[in-house]
Formats: sequence, structure tokens, C-alpha cells
Amino acid sequence: MPMKVGSEPFKNRVDEGIQNTFMRGAVSGAQDRLEVKRLQAVQELGDWETWRSLGEQIRQHVLENLDYYLTQLSDNVAKLGGHVYFASTAEEAREYIAGVAKQKNAKKIVKSKSMVTEEIDLNHHLQADGLEVVETDLGEYILQLDNDLPSHIVAPALHRNKEQVQESFHSHHGYEGSSRPEELTKHARKMLRNDYLTADIGITGCNFAVAETGSVCIVTNEGNADLSTSLPKTQITVMGMERLVPTFEELEVLVNMLTRSAVGQKLPSYVTVLSGPRGEGDADGPEEFHLVIVDNGRSEILGTEFQPILQCIRCAACANVCPVYRHVGGHSYGSIYSGPVGAVLSPLLGGYDEYKELPFASTLCGACTDVCPVKIPLHELLHKHRQVIVEKEGRAPISERFLMSIFGMGSSSSGLYNMGSKIASKALKPIIKDSHISKGVGPLKNWMEAREFPAPNKERFRDWFENRAKGGNES
Amino acid sequence: MTGQIQNRQAFIEKISQKLKRSEVPSAIEPPQWSYAPQYQVLKHKTQDELLEVLQKQCQLINTSCVVTKLADLPGAVYETIQSYGGGPVIAWQDERFGHYGLTELFNERLPKEQVPVNTWDPAKGRENVSLAEKANVGITIAEQMLAESGTAVLFSYKNHGRAVNFLPEKSIILIPKSMIVPRMTQAAASLRKRVLQGEKVPPCINFISGPSNSADIELILVVGVHGPNYMTYIVIEDL
Amino acid sequence: MKVALFATCLVDMFRTNVGKSTVELLEHLGCEVEFPKGQICCGQPAYNAGFVKDSKEAMKHMIEVFEEAEYIVSPSGSCAYMFKKYPEVFRGDPIWEPRAKKVADKTYELTQFIVDVLRVEDVGAAFDGNVTYHMSCHMTRLLGVKSAPMTLLSNVRGLKYTELPNKDTCCGFGGTFSVKMEQISEQMVDEKVQHIIETGAQYLIGADEGCLMNIRGRAERVGAKVEVLHIAEILNNRMAEVK
Repeated sequence: MPMKVGSEPFKNRVDEGIQNTFMRGAVSGAQDRLEVKRLQAVQELGDWETWRSLGEQIRQHVLENLDYYLTQLSDNVAKLGGHVYFASTAEEAREYIAGVAKQKNAKKIVKSKSMVTEEIDLNHHLQADGLEVVETDLGEYILQLDNDLPSHIVAPALHRNKEQVQESFHSHHGYEGSSRPEELTKHARKMLRNDYLTADIGITGCNFAVAETGSVCIVTNEGNADLSTSLPKTQITVMGMERLVPTFEELEVLVNMLTRSAVGQKLPSYVTVLSGPRGEGDADGPEEFHLVIVDNGRSEILGTEFQPILQCIRCAACANVCPVYRHVGGHSYGSIYSGPVGAVLSPLLGGYDEYKELPFASTLCGACTDVCPVKIPLHELLHKHRQVIVEKEGRAPISERFLMSIFGMGSSSSGLYNMGSKIASKALKPIIKDSHISKGVGPLKNWMEAREFPAPNKERFRDWFENRAKGGNES
Repeated sequence: MTGQIQNRQAFIEKISQKLKRSEVPSAIEPPQWSYAPQYQVLKHKTQDELLEVLQKQCQLINTSCVVTKLADLPGAVYETIQSYGGGPVIAWQDERFGHYGLTELFNERLPKEQVPVNTWDPAKGRENVSLAEKANVGITIAEQMLAESGTAVLFSYKNHGRAVNFLPEKSIILIPKSMIVPRMTQAAASLRKRVLQGEKVPPCINFISGPSNSADIELILVVGVHGPNYMTYIVIEDL
Repeated sequence: MKVALFATCLVDMFRTNVGKSTVELLEHLGCEVEFPKGQICCGQPAYNAGFVKDSKEAMKHMIEVFEEAEYIVSPSGSCAYMFKKYPEVFRGDPIWEPRAKKVADKTYELTQFIVDVLRVEDVGAAFDGNVTYHMSCHMTRLLGVKSAPMTLLSNVRGLKYTELPNKDTCCGFGGTFSVKMEQISEQMVDEKVQHIIETGAQYLIGADEGCLMNIRGRAERVGAKVEVLHIAEILNNRMAEVK
């Protein structure tokens, strides 16, 4: 599964993440800073809850009419002279793009950041065809040199420090400069400038397509998408099929919410709206424009109780407030989609075989739901996954199913509960020491790896209450 | 010439089916949104107040904001170019430069001082890109300026090469004060109006808010990545 | 005012003093407190783990036990929230959904009840100590009780309050999460305890025994000099009475 990151089992990935002190420091520092900025940006805007309701309404409306808007979008792209390819699977999308590259006799491709192209594993396939594919987003550029994978939707190289970047540039390019970010960035600018000017094809993602005009909107701070689309002769834009808006008016609402939620910016340096190939007589811009619309499992989510996850605008605000993500980092999710959105989406796109642990790696604290600009009930969707996994799919371990049915019995019968809780302290006496449990068994063992566990009170609360009611004056 | 659409029917049919309808509707009711907070932002601000908002925002996005009268515009442009280290300069081909009184500056004064000024000429094809790549400063004119975010709205096509805003290291964008609007809401609305009146959308619309930047390395902000490193807006206050 | 106390299984088995404090506090504020004996567990542990069917029996039992009460009050934000979810759990069930709604509509978390229903912000408490407060996710984000605890604490005489860094970050309990995802839970509760130590407070206060057991257990394990108490125990502390 190309969306997949790494091949280790979940517990190992989590362990590795927890051991990675640098990454954890980077992630928690990033979380703290980005959340401060996000809060500032939404407070400054004011009336944020109304904006969220509007964002939710727009996204829900689009999903409810996705067939209509995709038809309108493709008609309008074609009217502008652009080509549209509807790809049901990752393979179809790759084949089409590879076909265009072949037809153009392309040698070099420059790419701006696009999660969906990573999801369909585009780069590897194009490279296998002998094409040079250059990632131009600085974070992705850094990762590409070492065949590393992104760990955060918006800041993909968050897990790398500047010394590692310096080392990478040195070993791949003979870079002799310092590890200062300004210098490293200048180096990347120099290297990539030449790539932009000599590339045959520019491939981009799409933050939002605009159905009414057949436009695609791409948002960056670096300007790399602009250079990737103004200089090469051919442009290919790849979009997840749900990433569109009806008109420019909804575009501006969602772009605004995206950038404030993601990094606390009012707008990023570049919001670029491209409509078709270059105009007649233009001296730059692509001569040919292709829009590849990807399903790859999204249509299976439509019409189900998980449909709200398709409202996502990929801001990663949820990851920025998630206490689990904070401690384990993006790679632990085993998917390019990490954080809470990834924990909901990856099992849907990648299946429960690969991703059944993700919905359980959460306390359902709701921090993600609270910050989602389009009001996706993320923690509730995680819970729904749990219900599907244990009830429909029957994937809970037998011991857990057994314990839960005992729980069901014990908590629905006062008689059973009374008996059980009365004998609890007597039964546990052998392992009680100083009003603590001293030896853990079963689930208690896991608890006690990190914490003390109290012994049951000698007098249950209900007994205290009953005695008191009977006239016993114990305090 | 109309482009090709491939594989649409089955793709759309599947979606319609998931949405529990027999086929894709040929038309739908235009959506009526229940909320409109975007129109409240910077409502009732005068042009002077919007300019103030713009100036404040420019400080936050590493952009210089120069305010000048039309008569002094050539001087302001000249000084900015010199502060940026001179030429070569590349500018859009746009008759507004002439209306703003910049012809003499571009065609005579600057070249005389060894600052070549090239104008984007579509007939020259790819050579324009080379000129832009060699240029130190790019000069363009915004259609609108968004006060809230310090954003210049630029239409790129024909005589307005996209590369002028991206290849040179420094960027100067001119804007009449009367074209400053509160935020993107107004820009989107006016664009949409033109579309609904049958106007063709420019192939490239850039909303540019300051120079390029990235915080991809340890979340440390670096100004100047692939696009320009330096940016100046020149507001013509009596236009 | 007659209040049916929903003590919660954790309080019943492990923290009798929290139940005691809750009863005495409510009585001090003029309520008549009943304890419906049939109550066991709100069903959270199974429900949150995805075992919705198994949890329904527990829930039905609780509905039966509490449906005749005037007010249902619980010293646990997450358990009160679970009651609020009952109508959704039984959605579409013509018998149980209306009964669930009746119960949900009259359920309150303790501090919420005191401030919003009894309309009391000063319970006459006194507590000489330096405290910090953990907000409990289910209570704040999900149940929506954000300010009642602080309102009540701010009127406790003699109390010194230091804000907890990242006070609304989850403590890592999450019910079965604490034992199923024990590696991650450990990191989360450890960070929480480190933040508590940073404040220099002698007491960590909270309104949910799930969180408190988790934090207390870790604090004890790492030898932190912090006592972990439920807000009921603070609010029930009065100058005039000798305990």
C-alpha cells in the first residue's frame, strides 16, 4: 500500500517513536507554537464558531452533490482546453500520468507538495520509468534526498534537525555551508532554480478545485507551485475527488480557514488560481493542462457514517493538538496520513488489516474535534471505527471480548456487582500492600508498568451511605 | 479547443449511487449558506483606514509598503529599485505604466544609469523567461490589494508573464489606493461577478502576500525560498 | 431539592471519601441526597472500547435505576457525559430512547449542578493549600463544563491557585487506552505529572476519578510530592466544622 509508511508492526513503530527524543522534542515544540498561532489567528478573525459552521456547511453540501460538482468541474476544465482524467484507482492515475510523460518525451518532472500523489505512490512509478522526479517543497525536497517519508501533513520534515539536513546536502550535493536554515534554504533555492527551468512537466496537488470556473487553487509559502506551473510546458494537477468548492466565494472562505488553522496565517504567501493551460499568445504557463481526479477508495466512504471525514481540508490542526501524536510522531501511524485525521482515514483507505490499531490509539479526548475548521467529529469517528472493529469485524482479541461480556453482565446485575465488589478486597488481599496493589496481573500489569494502583477501599461508598442512613454516625 | 474528458461516466455513476440517487442531476439549487461571517470583516472601513490596516499587515509579512502621490511615483519606483541594488529590471507590458507616468523612467532614465528595463513581450516567447531569470527586480501592477492579509491580486496572461512575479529576487507591485479592499471576500465576489457576466477567467490569478518563505527546517522561518526574497508594495494614494 | 447521587463505580470501590464529600457538600447546600442502590456502572469502559452492544445492558440497568429521580448528580464529568449519550446510543429504539432522554436531561456533573442549578458560586469552603487544576477532557470538551470548577475554586478561602501548563491536554487515561496503549499512556501521564511538579503546587485537583487515579498513580510512582484530590474533597472542607 503506497500510503503505507514503514513495515513494522504498530507497537514497534510506537516504541520507536517514543524513543526518538529529537523527534518528540520537535513535535511537541511545533505543536505548542502552531497551536498558539492558530489560536491567535482565529481569535483575531473573531466569530470563529460561525466560520466553522459555514465551513462545515460548504463541505457537506459539496459532498452531498459531489457527482454534480465533479461533472461541472470537468466540463469547465475541458472548455478551457484542459484535459480531465477520472482515475478510480491509484494504478489508473499513475498509468495516465506516466502515459502523458511518455507522450511528451519527458525527462524531468518538478513536483509541488501533494499528499494524494504520495498516496498513489506516483514518484516511484515515474522513476521506474526512467524519469527524474524532483520534489520542490523544501521539506519534501529534503526528505526525497534520503528516501525518507513525511511525518506531518503540513511540515513534512519536522522530524529532521538542521544538522541532518546539512549532512544530507553535503553527501548528495557536496554542500560545504553551515547548518543555518537561511544558508541551507539558499542552497536548495539554487539547486531547484535550475530544475524549474529545465523540467518538462510540473506536477501539483490541488488544495481546492473550483467547479464553476474549472480552476484549481494551490496554496504555498515558497512559491514552488508557481514556478512548477509557469515554466514547464506541461502541467498535471492531481486531486482527491472530494477537494472542490462550488465557486470562488466558497474558495476564499475555505482557503482562509485552511491557512489560519494550519499555521496561523491570514493567507500564505501564494494563493494561485490556475484555469486551464496558458492563454493564447501567453509566453509562459503550460501549453497543456491535465487534471487527474482520484477516487482510490473515497467513494466507498460516501454514503456511510464515515462520510464526514471527506470534509477534511488537510490543515493538520488536529495533529497539532493531539496528545498521542505529540508523543509518538507521524511515522508511528504507518501511513502518510497521520494524526487524528490519519487515524480515521487510513483504515478507510488502507483497510483494517493494516490499520486496526489506529482508532484505539486515542483517549477520545476530543481536542481534534474542537479545532477542526470544518467540524468533523473526529473522536466520534474514531469511536465508530472501534465499534466496527470489535462488533462487525469481530477483531477484538478473545480475552477482551470475554472481559467485556463479563463487564456487561456484572454491570447490569446489582446482585452480581454487589457480590463481586464485596469480595474484591478480600480476594485481592494477597497482592495488597500499604493499600496498593503490589503485583499486577492481566490488564493491571500494563497499568502498573507506569503507575501505582490503589487497593479497593475497605468500606465501599455505598456501604458508608447505607450505614449512615441507618443512623451510624461515621464520618 | 475543448479538452478531453476520460472515464467520467462510470466514475460519476458510482458517486451518484453512493449518494442514493439514480443519476447525476443536471442542475441543483444554488446553495444558500446559513452563515456569512466573512462580510463582517473590516466592514465600513474607509480607504484611509484600509490603508492603515494594510501597512500594519505588511510589517508582519516582511513587506515594505511605500505610499506616494502619482506625481512622485517615478521617484518612488526609482528609489526602491536602487535600494534593491539596481537592475536588470523586468516589467509587465501594461499601458497603465504609461498612465502612471513611468515611461520616461523605464525607457530613459534607468537605462541611462546602466539599469536595463525589459518589458514582457509575448512575441519573444521563452526569451522572456531568460530575461526574468536574469532580472534583479520584477515590477507588476495589482488589480486589487487585500488589506487584511496584505495581499496583491495579480492577473497573469499575455503581456503579464507569470515569471515576473517569481523569478527575480526582488519584487515591486504597484496599486492605486482606491483598489484596496478589506479582504479576499471582496476579491472573490468581484471575480465571480465578472465570470457570471461571461468574462473569461485569466489563466493565472496570483494572490501574493509578501515574499516567499518556509519554516520547513525545524520550524524556523526563512524569508526567501523559490520566489522573491524581498517585496515592496507602492500605493498610489491619489489614484 | 431531592438529588439522586450517581456515585460512579470508581468512587464506590476506590474513593469512598469522594462520595462522602459529595454527599456532605450537597447536604450543606440544602439538598436531600438519595443513593439509588441498584446503580453500578454507566457503561463507559465497554462503550468507549467499541463494545456498544455489551454496554447497553449496563446502560439499561442505570436508566431503570435513575429514571424516577428529580436530579441526577455525579462527581464525574465523564460518567455524567455517558448518561448524556444514552439517547444517542438508543436512537431508534421506541422504548429505550425516550427513557434514555428523560435520564439524560436531568443529569449533571457536580460542579455544573452547584453553579448552574443551585446557582451557588461560594460553597463556604476553606482550604489552606497551593493547588493546581487538571481540566478533564470529557468534562470540558464533551460535556461542555468549562468554567464551573474554577468558579467554585476561586471562592475557596485561603486557596492559592497556580495554573497548570497545558492544562487542557489529556492526562492519558482514556479508560481501556491506559492498559491497551500503555506505552503511549505512560508518556502522556508522565508529561502531565511533570507539568504538575513544575507548578510547585502541593495539590492536584480534578473532577473525574478516572483522570485522578491515573495521575495519582503516576505521581506516586515517580515520587512526586503532590497529593491528588477530587474537587468535592476541597469544596467540602469548611472552617467551621472540625473533621
